[in-house]
Amino acid sequence: MRHTAKICFLSLLPLFITTGCWNLKEPDQLAFVAGNGLDLTKNGKLEASTLLVIPAGIGGGQINGGEKKESYQVMNATGKNVSDALDNIQSKLSRVVFAGHRDIFLVGQSLAEHGMGNTIDTFMRSSQSDMRAMIYLVKNGQPKDVFSSAPFFEPFITTTLSEEQEAIGLKPYLAREFVADVWSDATQPLLPVVSLNPSTHYSYNGSAILNKDDGVKLVGFLDKEETSYARWLTNRLISFTLTAFVSKGNGNISLSLDNLGRRIKVLQVGETIQIDVHLTGGGTIIENSTKLDSSKRKDLLLIQKEISLQTEKSTQKLVKKVQEAYKMDIFGFGESVHQQYPLQWKTLKHNWTKTFPTVAVSVSVDIRINDSGLTHSSLNKP
Amino acid sequence: MKLSETQLVWVIVTTEIIAMIGLTISPAIQIAKQDAWLSMLAGGVMGIALTFLAVKLSILHPNQSLVQYSQKLLGKWLGRLIVLPYLLAWYVLPAILLRSFADFLHLILLNRTPLWLIVLLFLGVSTYLTYSSGMTGIGRYCELVGPIIVLTLIVSFLLILRNIEYHHILPFYFDSGEVNILKGSFAPAFWFAGPFVLLVIISFIQNPRRVLAKSMLGVGITVFMVASATLMVLLVFGPNIAANLRFSYFMSVRTIDILNFIQNVDVFIMFIWVFGVIAQSSLYIFIASYETANCLNVKNWRKIVWYLLPAIFIMAILIPDETAITLFDKFWTTAIYPVCGILIPLFLLILTLIKKKVSAQSF
Repeated sequence: MRHTAKICFLSLLPLFITTGCWNLKEPDQLAFVAGNGLDLTKNGKLEASTLLVIPAGIGGGQINGGEKKESYQVMNATGKNVSDALDNIQSKLSRVVFAGHRDIFLVGQSLAEHGMGNTIDTFMRSSQSDMRAMIYLVKNGQPKDVFSSAPFFEPFITTTLSEEQEAIGLKPYLAREFVADVWSDATQPLLPVVSLNPSTHYSYNGSAILNKDDGVKLVGFLDKEETSYARWLTNRLISFTLTAFVSKGNGNISLSLDNLGRRIKVLQVGETIQIDVHLTGGGTIIENSTKLDSSKRKDLLLIQKEISLQTEKSTQKLVKKVQEAYKMDIFGFGESVHQQYPLQWKTLKHNWTKTFPTVAVSVSVDIRINDSGLTHSSLNKP
Repeated sequence: MKLSETQLVWVIVTTEIIAMIGLTISPAIQIAKQDAWLSMLAGGVMGIALTFLAVKLSILHPNQSLVQYSQKLLGKWLGRLIVLPYLLAWYVLPAILLRSFADFLHLILLNRTPLWLIVLLFLGVSTYLTYSSGMTGIGRYCELVGPIIVLTLIVSFLLILRNIEYHHILPFYFDSGEVNILKGSFAPAFWFAGPFVLLVIISFIQNPRRVLAKSMLGVGITVFMVASATLMVLLVFGPNIAANLRFSYFMSVRTIDILNFIQNVDVFIMFIWVFGVIAQSSLYIFIASYETANCLNVKNWRKIVWYLLPAIFIMAILIPDETAITLFDKFWTTAIYPVCGILIPLFLLILTLIKKKVSAQSF
């Protein structure tokens, strides 16, 4: 009895070593995807583009006389849906496409205008999809053009794009957070935007507002400054350079802000809802072209007050603009109402898209100058 | 065969933690939304109560397993009849378990390897563990891998901390209310108490004095880990997406990305998953064959293993798809568990207490 058992187990042993063979894929049989782009062609077909890594092009060390190979290749194909388009890309390749290291999703403007709701399923369903990819919208251009633009620091543009947001002080916006926003009760997605310059290099260009309740359609754009304020309001801003005109000193002052914070208080007055936002930040003066001397307490307080007031005005203006022109709750105010008045929210949430534009929002800003830099008064010679 | 008290703790932890994190988190989130972690805690309290019931019953019959004392209490035939649902549950459970894990492995890692082969391999390893040393071996194995599992999970929690957003679990309580929180807690509660294995394995402990405290400790560790894992999933994805993810904890581990350097930690999770699944299927196979042998008066329980294996293998292969497993889960929480985990043990406990009283009075 024991003997037969042992023989049985021994005969199983080779399986332990060989089962991987079905799935054996050497790296040289794979085509690694660094980024995927989706867009509509002029005649309304869904087009996928893929940035593929060419390992031979990256290889460091000596270059053996021959010309240097490109480190990437962009492939495009159209299809009935995302997978079909990607499959059509596969048919042009001799290596199996592997998306496990994908960093970037790009969405073309025309797809976003048409509504990208029915392309989102592919972001998470595939077993290869990792949860760390970032997402951008491409304004005035197509994903494939951004993919083809030559990067200068890294071998591929996708690495550059994935470091871009952190470099400009934004908390990176990941594809999974985008999906979470699309599925949230109230918050509307705010996608970072890149666009192509005439010199065919990309540049970060603010953000795009999408309407999750209408097929995730593009509603409008915010510029870079507005995006910073919007991100500050949603607590997704890490650092920020603020330039404001200080009328009493007759000049501009620039602050490098960090320690950014936000507090939202929801008040219910009768049937109407009022939202008080309090923004805080601390900063260092990096440029002073005014007559004020930041080493004097009176002047310093004056600068603080003026800059806070200016920021208050800009933020109020942004909120008003979003409420009136776009009517989309990109600030997550609905989420704050949800958290602070959970019982009332159960009835409010059905009508939130209609309520949001009418909600009274007041913004107060408290900016502190923690450091006035290495000099006292302005060095500018009048 | 012997089992020490420390081993009992780790057997409970190892065989429950993995299955629970794998199978119960998403269903709980579907019902209780962002309060699913409260469901887990509530389920933990219920689970501890149910464990108390099972342990109490077993302690009253020291060194006797379920089949033995049910026959002692109810007589030869009724005693055998009443354990039939248990035996059936223990036959089907390893098949369901192996199949759902093989599906997972097939989807994530080995999509070209035939499914039956993955099942066969796991069955082979589990059989080896069961066959070679029975409960002693399983106890030692769990004592070894249990701490590794807990440690790996704690490290993964710490790494996930970077990705969490507190607003995902707000507001507490109000959205789902106590009805949904309780509704979401039933399935976890039944898992926390385990699939009636305690009714059998406590009989292997020589001196069952501190067994009650030790089993509570085992369940307590499990509750803490599973509730934390649920909290992590919610904090990373928010309730709307988490409810839609099949392997939610695994996916939340995939979000780990620290300095572009610590990534793909899911590899380690895959390891502890394998550990846990092997512990579970070995334990169920062992208990099923041991109790069947007791029931049929077969002296050598190892003989039963050979009849059980093909049955489990065929069942695992014949399961058509994931929806059948979901159906089985529903059947488990609505029918099997209430009968085998609550009604019959309660009945046996009352019977034991009455008999004791009667015999005490007659003296």
